[in-house]
Amino acid sequence: MILLAFIAVTLLALVIIILSHNHLRMNTACILQALIFVILTAYIVMFRQIPVESFFIGSEYFFIDHLGIFEVGIATIIFTCAALYARGYIEGLVESGELEKGSLKLFYVAWTLLLLVIVLAFFSDNLALFWIFAELTTIISAMLIAILSARENIDAAIKYIFIASVSMLFTFVGFIFLFEISRTSPDAGSLNWTDLIQHASVFPPGMMLAAFALIFIGLAAKSGIFPFHTWLPAAHAKAPSAVSAILSGVLLNVGIYGIIRVYAIVHQTPAAGIVAPMLMLFGILTVGIAAFSMLPQKNLKKLVAFSSVENMGILLIGLAISTPIALFWMLFQIMAHSLTKASLFFSSGILHRQYAGQFSSDTVDDIRDVFRLQPLAAWGIILGGLAIIALPPFPIFFSEFFIMLQLGAVSLWVLVITLFLLFIAAGALGYFVITNFTKVSGPGADDDIKHYHTPVSMKIPIIFLLALLLIIGILLPHPGMEFISQIVTELKF
Amino acid sequence: MIDTSTIEGIIRILFVGIIITAAYIISTRNLLSVVSVYAVQSLTLVFIALALYSLEGSLVLLAIAIITFFSKVLIIPYFITTIQERIRIKRDIEFHFLNPTTSLLISMVLMLVIYMVLSRIMQGTPARESLFFFGAVLGISLMLMGMMVTFSRKRVITKALGFLSMENGVLLFGLFVTELPFIIEFLIIIDLIILVLLTTILSVGIDSTLEDYHQRLHRFHLWEEPGEDS
Repeated sequence: MILLAFIAVTLLALVIIILSHNHLRMNTACILQALIFVILTAYIVMFRQIPVESFFIGSEYFFIDHLGIFEVGIATIIFTCAALYARGYIEGLVESGELEKGSLKLFYVAWTLLLLVIVLAFFSDNLALFWIFAELTTIISAMLIAILSARENIDAAIKYIFIASVSMLFTFVGFIFLFEISRTSPDAGSLNWTDLIQHASVFPPGMMLAAFALIFIGLAAKSGIFPFHTWLPAAHAKAPSAVSAILSGVLLNVGIYGIIRVYAIVHQTPAAGIVAPMLMLFGILTVGIAAFSMLPQKNLKKLVAFSSVENMGILLIGLAISTPIALFWMLFQIMAHSLTKASLFFSSGILHRQYAGQFSSDTVDDIRDVFRLQPLAAWGIILGGLAIIALPPFPIFFSEFFIMLQLGAVSLWVLVITLFLLFIAAGALGYFVITNFTKVSGPGADDDIKHYHTPVSMKIPIIFLLALLLIIGILLPHPGMEFISQIVTELKF
Repeated sequence: MIDTSTIEGIIRILFVGIIITAAYIISTRNLLSVVSVYAVQSLTLVFIALALYSLEGSLVLLAIAIITFFSKVLIIPYFITTIQERIRIKRDIEFHFLNPTTSLLISMVLMLVIYMVLSRIMQGTPARESLFFFGAVLGISLMLMGMMVTFSRKRVITKALGFLSMENGVLLFGLFVTELPFIIEFLIIIDLIILVLLTTILSVGIDSTLEDYHQRLHRFHLWEEPGEDS
């Protein structure tokens, strides 16, 4: 029944949005929707037996296990922050005429639907159903990118749709393969993950390898893994910053989530011996490409977007090590990265409003006097940047540290290469901040910069997320750690 | 009832039909005929589904045939033709990397490679001997051919047609896995329709100037502005 509650809340929010005529009311509906989702998630975590079994459609299509609820928890928190952030941000876009008033309704309808579709994707037991929801996330989020209807936005959205959808078709063929494979097991064919993981040990490795390779293509494209990452920087940089945060913090997770699920099945078969090195290779290549693309980057949002690519590579490396400890910290990294990246996009959104007013996002950001004009955003970028390059006490430090330790046990050379690439990426971020944030315009030149008055609603999410990250990093709360260990057990690692 | 071998023969002939249509979509420059060829390709799929139905008698196949007929043979081609008339593009002569002859050669090589790879993977499994194997080879080839169209053409409409032809490949492949839950086939088509809708909206924008874009959206009645000029 709990799924019905999610759907009912969304329907209610949709009705409010469609009936209302002003921006604030539509936005409030979105904030409330996300907030109620957070409460529902917390309710499931605290008061229900996980995995939750009883459903209105039986347990054939949907299920809720620890991994699903973990991802939903991250998604709902980021959506709540992003919706609050959008309150001021979108208002500003409308005032400056970059977003037409008529498009507002479409924007918020797509926004609410996106959250629902993402939640349903994480709760799908049937892999084909997961595929459908993942496809829908692509389409809806592409709409959110194209909503600004600047030519670059439409270009970015189209590139995103075509690369993601074309690759996702391969994933679908992979799922058909998987179904064909599952018919060899004692239970007749099934695409339910819970069935598949139970019978995985008898699956023929050759077919399994083919199925995984096909499935990987699409999910890798969804999560921006080399060589399918080409859509990501453009889409993340051109989207309104509230949307960029969702794209980076939530949507990339959808792809990685799928890879984790399918890899858990492969892990039970001998095919894992080939798949794991393959994942490792793609992971390192992804980190490498991202690191070297970050070096010459002059545009803040693009820089942050490439940093997401880098982190997806790290996640893939963590998964490829395939020890329980590596998987544990990889899951931790998913959460840490999502929260950090969302806060970074929020901060760079403020700077973007301040310095790139004409919305020519391809041009170099001309950042000057940043501490005088936008102190909060500047500190947001600095602290978020420190968090993303894995400095203690931020949570990413712990996950990357332990993943690297585990990697060292696999191969010292791979560890050295990966560390080198991570240093390049960190250096690129540091170089950008140092060169741009120290620029001060001379006396008398003050008048040509118009101060962008940042609404409070745009500041709260940044402060909240950074505080949350610090709390997680310093306390490493025990119940949370316990929760992640249960995911590892459920994935049979 | 016609006997099994005749039907399998018919299915093989239909396979050839699919290859011909795919080759045509890759090589032609005339946009209007691409749409009709796409419709023919989908119709061939409908026939294959019907042939399989008479072979196996599973109602799901009949349902797929009906849904495919209405969505892919009638609605989508009609929709794309309408869009094309509005934006007045007749020919698509812009290619990114590949010209038609090279693409045709590449697709032949691709089919051969897929055949060899799949027969190695499926060696010894029961799947190797059945029509499933041919469906897989042809379906994946069709997908790759569609993918070449998607990435070698510049016009969004041609890209979309390439994508649709890829989805035909997936459907073709799916037809031979008869016990596949019905929900999948059904939702492929829903998904497809949404995708066509979106890409065409976007393609209208990209194939014309931006000033026109919003006017066009209003002319299509895709959304109205609340409380303003309407």
